[in-house]
Amino acid sequence: MAIVNLKEKTIQVKIVYYGPGRSGKTTNLEYIHNWLQQSEKEQTSKLISIDTKGDRTLFFDFFPINLGKIAGFDLKLQLYTTPGQVKYESTRRLVLKGVDGVVFVADSLASRQDANKESFDNLIQNLEHHNIPLDDIKLIFQWNKRDLDSKMIPLTEVQDMEELLNSELQTQSFSSSAVTGMNVLKTVRFIAKETVQNVIEKTAFKAMNIQ
Amino acid sequence: MNTIIDEESAQKVETVLQKFIDESGATYVLLTDMGGNLLFKVGEENFDGDTLAVLSAANYAATKEIATLINEDNFSLLFHRGNNENIHFAKISPDVLMIILFKPYLSLGLLRLKIESIQKEITELLGNE
Repeated sequence: MAIVNLKEKTIQVKIVYYGPGRSGKTTNLEYIHNWLQQSEKEQTSKLISIDTKGDRTLFFDFFPINLGKIAGFDLKLQLYTTPGQVKYESTRRLVLKGVDGVVFVADSLASRQDANKESFDNLIQNLEHHNIPLDDIKLIFQWNKRDLDSKMIPLTEVQDMEELLNSELQTQSFSSSAVTGMNVLKTVRFIAKETVQNVIEKTAFKAMNIQ
Repeated sequence: MNTIIDEESAQKVETVLQKFIDESGATYVLLTDMGGNLLFKVGEENFDGDTLAVLSAANYAATKEIATLINEDNFSLLFHRGNNENIHFAKISPDVLMIILFKPYLSLGLLRLKIESIQKEITELLGNE
């Protein structure tokens, strides 16, 4: 649920990185956070991680980004990850509350395709739990770990992953590597733009002629 | 569903929250929705309000899940005591959480009474958007 504050002139949207365990959701956020820290003059907010001793996400990772202005409004992006492991179902569901955009981070390893499918079905169920229709939010895919292709590790072809997860939705997808940063920023820029646009269209902006 | 906070309501809510701080002696008040989106913050601060909103909403949601698990409707009191600062979480409407920071010498009971007195007003202001 996006928040539009007409006094402070801010638009706030929530974007969640979803996917199976160890698919690279936290690595995506860490890459973006490091990039912002190095490239921005102003101080970047701290990356909050509620994780276990083994560095596995227990609840979520989070940090806010200020994206600049649109029509005089400051855009604020709230980036979250969910815990991927199956046993953290209750906390994973909580993170989805009020979501405006989802990046589904799928693992390209050939051995993880069942886990991708299971996690995607779980995403749909959890959105239903919060009464969020899929066409009400923006959802894109990221086929992660493509860098392993060059290391002779068996990966599933992008086309096969598209067929498994994206054949019905036919939404935008990116082949990526969260470790090297390939297409990580492209993914976040795309989902941010699409989500904000969706929020603006859905709110009363048009009627109020603010656009 | 998105929330639009108009200028007039925002001004009124901030006035109510400032009055609450002046009368109760609380240090800082923050309103967030249950999804962790910061709505309002009033008072002295030297920390990131956005992050406090996110962690508070998560904390509240997790506590609620614990309540459900042990067959409780909800816990009526969510409060942490610190050496220099206490924090109290109060659900003031189905989708709005109020977070109050206050010094340990202040009475929690009195604070809760004051919250109750402004709860309706804030809910109405936010509901009239």
